[in-house]
Amino acid sequence: MTSLDHLVLVSALTLALMLLFGRMRIAGRLAVVLYAVQFLLLMQTGALLGEPVASSLTLSVLDLQMHWRYDALSWFFAMITIGAGFFCAWYAAGVWQERYREEGHSPRLFHVALAANVLTMLILLGSGDLLSLFIGWELVSWASFLLMAVGGGPAGRAALRYLVYAFSGGMAILAGLMLIYTQTGSLDYARVLSLLGELSDGQVWLLLLLIGGGFAVKMGLLPFHLWQAAAYAETPGPGSSFLGAISARMGLYALIMLLVAMLGIGRLTAMEVPFTFLSARDLIAWIAALTVIIPTYIALQQHDARYLLAWHGIGQGGYMLLGLMVGNAVGSAGGLFHVFTYGITQAALLMAVFAVVHRTGTADLNKLGGLVARMPLTFLVLLFGIISLAGLPPMAGFVSKWMVYRSLVAEGMPLLFVAAVVGTLGTILSVYKLIHNIFLGQLRIEHEQVREAPLSMLLPMLGLSTLIFLVGVTPGPALSWVAAVQASLGLPPVPYTLGGIEDPRGGLDMLWLVGILMAGFGVGALIFFGLGGRSKRVHQLDNYAGGHFLTADVRYQYSDNFYAGLMHLIGPWYRGAFLWLEKALTATVAFLSAVMNGFYRYAQPALFVLATAVALLALTTA
Amino acid sequence: MTELIKTPRTGETLPVKAGKRTNPLANVFDELVRFAQSRSLFMLHYCTGCGAIELPPSMTSRFDMERLGIQPMVSPRQADILLVTGYVSVKTLKRIILTYEQMGSPKYVIGICSCTVNGGMYWQSYATAKKLNDYMPVDIYIAGCMPRPEAVIAGLRELMENIRQGKADSWKDYYRHYDHYLGHQQRLFGETWQTPTDVIAEARHYGLFGPDTLGTHTALLEQHQRPLEALEMKVDIPELMARR
Repeated sequence: MTSLDHLVLVSALTLALMLLFGRMRIAGRLAVVLYAVQFLLLMQTGALLGEPVASSLTLSVLDLQMHWRYDALSWFFAMITIGAGFFCAWYAAGVWQERYREEGHSPRLFHVALAANVLTMLILLGSGDLLSLFIGWELVSWASFLLMAVGGGPAGRAALRYLVYAFSGGMAILAGLMLIYTQTGSLDYARVLSLLGELSDGQVWLLLLLIGGGFAVKMGLLPFHLWQAAAYAETPGPGSSFLGAISARMGLYALIMLLVAMLGIGRLTAMEVPFTFLSARDLIAWIAALTVIIPTYIALQQHDARYLLAWHGIGQGGYMLLGLMVGNAVGSAGGLFHVFTYGITQAALLMAVFAVVHRTGTADLNKLGGLVARMPLTFLVLLFGIISLAGLPPMAGFVSKWMVYRSLVAEGMPLLFVAAVVGTLGTILSVYKLIHNIFLGQLRIEHEQVREAPLSMLLPMLGLSTLIFLVGVTPGPALSWVAAVQASLGLPPVPYTLGGIEDPRGGLDMLWLVGILMAGFGVGALIFFGLGGRSKRVHQLDNYAGGHFLTADVRYQYSDNFYAGLMHLIGPWYRGAFLWLEKALTATVAFLSAVMNGFYRYAQPALFVLATAVALLALTTA
Repeated sequence: MTELIKTPRTGETLPVKAGKRTNPLANVFDELVRFAQSRSLFMLHYCTGCGAIELPPSMTSRFDMERLGIQPMVSPRQADILLVTGYVSVKTLKRIILTYEQMGSPKYVIGICSCTVNGGMYWQSYATAKKLNDYMPVDIYIAGCMPRPEAVIAGLRELMENIRQGKADSWKDYYRHYDHYLGHQQRLFGETWQTPTDVIAEARHYGLFGPDTLGTHTALLEQHQRPLEALEMKVDIPELMARR
């Protein structure tokens, strides 16, 4: 029994205990303790800095050995996974769980789904060869489906849509693995790695398309992004937080294994896209950049807070891949670091939004407003979160995004840099819409008596916010993990310091930056309080609306069609092209299946079955 | 309608309280503050009538009032000047008073066009207020029908000069003689007239509470007034509240 075995066993135990005792009130708290234990066990594996830790379990299928091991990359992703599980279980453990039960749902099913997600992700992250990777991949897909579908209704429909995408992706990956197996005769990482160099460019392109495409589905890379927002947004509160924080990043983990660990950035750069001046690496970087821009601007149009954040989840994945595709020390560190910073940010943001849903019963941005006066702490959590999501100092998201930008500029990719900045602009606009429509402006009459979120939900939210701020001010410790991951992947490690990175071409020291920022606030406070600190609170109806006399029954908050001026300019660009593509594909498949159905059922059933059987036999013998 | 002679005169200086200005540098400092105030004026232009058409040329490149430090502002809370451009109907006057009371002190009112001075060509109308300074203290009138941008700029320069010299303090009159202004407002809008702003409390806050602040009209106001309490920010965590 190695330390990795302990970790996976405790994770499996969590699942079993949730199955057995999920009905009881104590189940939520039990889950929190068990996730904490898992976290400690992960720390004890020492996979980050030491040698990779192998599991004592090996399986043999046909002549293929399956084994599991944890290296720095697995450790990094597992740390975020268990951390997200911990905070989300905490959020669910108290009042949320009771309310969930009262609404006629089963908390047991929810806890089981969450534990299954954590377990399967830990198994996937430990995969030691391509076969165990595929099995882990399928397990994660089914576990995610379970968590997405527990809500029922629109959540069930979104989960089914996800399942279709995941199936197609899984089949493509399987086809790619068969290709690798026929070419190299093995699915072991080391064997495959040594033989990959002998593959022709055409074969590698096919591999990229099949396996890369399959992994991209989970991550929501363009053009496979359509399923994600609805599936994540409709999942019940903490489940949505968990999925948003880490689930899609499993796709990134697998893509890192394929693109960086197995093929390598060098190989990608050497592969030309036929008839163009682009290399495979440029192509992937541009796909990542479009993944940043398009979903972010779709998020701008959402009027449901959950959907808005879920669409951002897709867009932020693009930054991670973009940074990794730059491939230098700072860029790849930025991409990897963004997995962590974005994970804590998105978890906190969704928790805050679901706390509002818990109190007001709606996430519709047109039906909220002015809640800062009633839920100030939740407001603070959301404020910290959106500053981080938009990539502004002094929060964690700034550091990782800054590193991606800087690497793009320093490596001479100005157009990609512009694309990243355009994406950030969309982020800033939409997160402003988010905080304005929920917390600022006019408090509605029906929300006069709303109270602050319950303590059991507030504490994990505040904990995550503190983490966002601390990681923003002193990113050094977290960057040390990233540097270890880079070293294990064979990338140049980032030269980190306590406050940021050290680089002769321009480093970053958040301690100074935050210090100056705070000094600026300090000067402002000195002027304000030095002059007597005079301020006047006025009633929210004592407000200027072109001189109009405001009454409580008339809404003066501007929330619907929020960026009308901007939409006047960019509105025609929203064509729903991907949606149209998906519909066309669905219609084609439906049509073909109807045609085949007609043939088999009505024309000459026996004859066609016979002909098909003969054709299949001929194919298999040939 | 009151005679002009009966309205409180602006620029009337009150005796300085003893012991308030002992620092010899205070005058220098006041001078500096007044200079700075006069060179940075934000203007809320409440475009009520045809005078508004003279403002675009005044603001844009030909006459360019921004070279004097005057800029438009979208909300009364941040504005220094309330510009009333043209005839003021009864309905509009309510809005102007609401907006004026929402502005933070020091605040200045400019009436543009003859209509704000004496009703102008609408003198015989039943629905217009004739003299703006019956309802709020006016710092500068720019007469004309309509005054050209040169006149507007000249008026604004005069206001700037008054601010620099410390003479433009008619906003204090509104607090000192609130009863007078409220009386005119009540005569026009009826006894139940009230705005969200508690002017009397503000007069106390600014130290401008005078003998004419309260009177018969404010007594009438107090009978009808429904106070608007400010929205308090509450940290109301149920679990912590229950334990107390």
